[in-house]
Amino acid sequence: MATSAEPRGLAVGEMRLASFDRQFAQQVRVQRPDRYRLLDALPADMPRIARGAGVSYVAASFGNEAVSLDMRGFQRLLAFDIRTGLLCVEAGASIGDVQRFLLPRGWYLPIAPGHPRATIGGCIAADVHGKNPARDGTFRALVEELQLHVPGRGLLSLDPHHDADLFAATCGGLGLTGTITRATLRLARPPRAIALRRVAVANLADGARVLREAANAHVLYGWHDGQAARFGSGVINVGLADDEAEPPRFDLSPARDLPATLAPLPLTVWNARGIALANRWLRRRWCQPGMTALALPAALFPLNDARWYFAGYGKAGLVELQWLIPHPRFEAFAAALAECVARTRPRIALLSSKLFDGRAQGLAFDGKGIALALHLAAPAAPAQHAFCEQFAQLALAHEGRPNLIKDSSLDASTLRAALPDFEVRRLALARYNADGRCRSELTRRLAL
Amino acid sequence: MTAIVVGASSGLGRALADELARRGQVLLLVASDARDLHALAADLQLRHEVEVATLALDLGREVDPGARILAALAALPPPTSLLLPVGLSRRDDDFTLSAGASGELLAINLHAPLAIIGALLPSLRETRGTIVLFGSIAAARGRGQNVAYAAAKRALESLHESLRQAHAPGALHVQLYRLGFLATNLTFGMALPWAATDPARIAPGIVRRLGKGSFARHLPRRYALVALLLRSLPWFAWRRLRR
Repeated sequence: MATSAEPRGLAVGEMRLASFDRQFAQQVRVQRPDRYRLLDALPADMPRIARGAGVSYVAASFGNEAVSLDMRGFQRLLAFDIRTGLLCVEAGASIGDVQRFLLPRGWYLPIAPGHPRATIGGCIAADVHGKNPARDGTFRALVEELQLHVPGRGLLSLDPHHDADLFAATCGGLGLTGTITRATLRLARPPRAIALRRVAVANLADGARVLREAANAHVLYGWHDGQAARFGSGVINVGLADDEAEPPRFDLSPARDLPATLAPLPLTVWNARGIALANRWLRRRWCQPGMTALALPAALFPLNDARWYFAGYGKAGLVELQWLIPHPRFEAFAAALAECVARTRPRIALLSSKLFDGRAQGLAFDGKGIALALHLAAPAAPAQHAFCEQFAQLALAHEGRPNLIKDSSLDASTLRAALPDFEVRRLALARYNADGRCRSELTRRLAL
Repeated sequence: MTAIVVGASSGLGRALADELARRGQVLLLVASDARDLHALAADLQLRHEVEVATLALDLGREVDPGARILAALAALPPPTSLLLPVGLSRRDDDFTLSAGASGELLAINLHAPLAIIGALLPSLRETRGTIVLFGSIAAARGRGQNVAYAAAKRALESLHESLRQAHAPGALHVQLYRLGFLATNLTFGMALPWAATDPARIAPGIVRRLGKGSFARHLPRRYALVALLLRSLPWFAWRRLRR
C-alpha cells in the first residue's frame, strides 16, 4: 500500500497476526497511528478494523483484507476526577495500566477481563465481562461517553443521550461502527482485599446453585473438572470484600503482565494425562473448604499466572467454547453435557462457570443464566472438532447464547440459530457500516 | 527550570517528554497538532503531577518558530534544556522532490532547529543549559535516497560543532546523538537489516546526561561501528550498493 510518493510516517506495514487461541493467522497490513492526523491519513474507503492489544481469542482485529489499526499508541490518560470517580482515557490504554494508575488513588475499574493487556477500546468493542457479571454487568455499564473515529466523518462524541443508537451499537459492536479513540469511564471504589471462600461442588447443577446464592460477591466463578469420570465437580470461588484485612503484598508492575503473544511449547501438554495431572493438583489445592485473603490485583488478573498454561496448548492452540444457558434450562443442559462428555471423552483442559444477570443487547454476551467456558486442546483433531459441534447443538437445544469474541469454532449458521433476532441485530449494526469498510476475519466468519 | 521538547507528540520526542516528566521537570512541549499535545500534556500531568505547557507549531511552514517558543516560555521558569528530536523523511526524497517539498524537509530538519536555537541561545547561556540535537545514521554517507534529509542531518553536525566552538566548556552543553533505527512511525513497515530500538529504552540515558558536558555520539552505541564500516567502504564499493 505504501507508494513511492507517500510520505514516510503513515506507519503502515505488513505483519503476520494470529488470534490468541492460534486458530487463525494471516499476513495483513497494519497501521500503527500514534497521532490524530494518522487516523485521518488512510483513505476513507479503505477497509479497516481497529486493533487493541490483539489478545482476543478470535480474529476480531485483523483479516478480510482490512488494514488493522493498532491503537496502542493512543494510551494517554486525559482527565481524572478523583472526587467523582470519572476517568477519560484513550482507547489504546491497557486495562492493566489503567488499574495501576487508579488503585493507588482509591479507584478501580470493577469490570476487567483477565488479560491485563486488553485495551479500553477492545473492552468496549467486545463488551467484555469481569469477575462477576451478575453483580457488575458488562463493560458498557462503565462507559459514560466515548469518541469514535468514523472514516469520512471524523471524530464523533457519543453517549447514551447523544447519538444513543450509535453509542449502543458501538458497545459490543466488534469495531464495525468505527474506531473508538477515547472513553469516559465510571469508576468504583476498590475493596481493600478479597476474602476468597471456596465452596466445593459435586457437579455443574450444584455449582449453579452456589453461584446464584452468592450473586453479590465481588469475585464469583467456578472451576470444574472437565474429565468424564468427575465431570462438573469442582469449586466455586466466592470473593467478598474485606476492608479490615491487611491486603497481601502483590507485584503490580507491568513486567508481571501476561504477554500479548506467547511462544507455544513444541508439544501439547494438555493431552489426557496432562489434564488428569493438572486437575488432580488443582483439586488438591482448591477443593478444600476455607477462606484465603487475596490481593485485589491478583483477583483482577488471574491470567498473569497462566503463561505456561497457554503455552502448553502448543502450536495447535486451543478453542474456547463459551455459552450462556438460561437458568430454567441449565440443569437439563448440564446433565446432557455430562452424558455427552462421558460418551465422547473430549480433552477439556479447563471448564469454568459464571453467573449472568443482565439483558442481552445487540450481539453482546449477556443475559440471565449460567455461562460455561470450556478450553479444548487441539481443536482441529477430529474428535475434538466433533465435540465442539455437539456442544453447540446441545447449547442451541437449551436456548444458549454464544460468546462471539471467544469462540473460533462458531459459524454463521449456528449464530443465526442461537439468536432468533440475528438479522435485526446485524442490520442495526450494518446501518453504521453500510459499505462494509470496517471488517475482520470474525465478521467474515459470522457473516456480520 | 523548563525543558523544551520540540517534536514531542511522537516517537523519541514522546518518550523524552515522558522521561522528563517522570523526573518532575517542568515542560514545554512543541508539536504540529494541538490534539496530540493536549492529550500528551494531560497524561503527563495526571501520571507525574508536573507542569506542562504546549505549543502547536507547524515547523514546515512557521517562519520564526523560535519567536513563538520564546513567547510561550514567558509564563514558565527559565529554560535549561532544549531537546530537538524533530525530523521528517519521505520515500520519494531521491532528487525527484519539488522545490516546495524539499523546502519542507529542510525547514523541519534544519531550519527549525537552527531558528529555535538562535532564539533561545541567550536564555540557555544564562542557565548554562543544554542543547540536544539529533542526527541520523542516514547522514553517515550520502546516497541516492534520503537526499535532502541526510543533507540536513549532516548539516546538524556542523551546527553542533559551531555551537561548541563558540562557547567555553561549561557555558553551554551541546550534545548530538546520531540515531540508528528507532521503532517509530518513520521506520514502521520498513524492511530493516535488524530490529529497531524502542525510543523508551534510550530516552532515560539522554535525559540522564542533560547538563553533563558536550559530545557527539551514536545511539544505540552499536551504530558507531555501523557508521565506521559505511565510511570505510571504498568509493567504488559504496557506489555499487546503490539501489
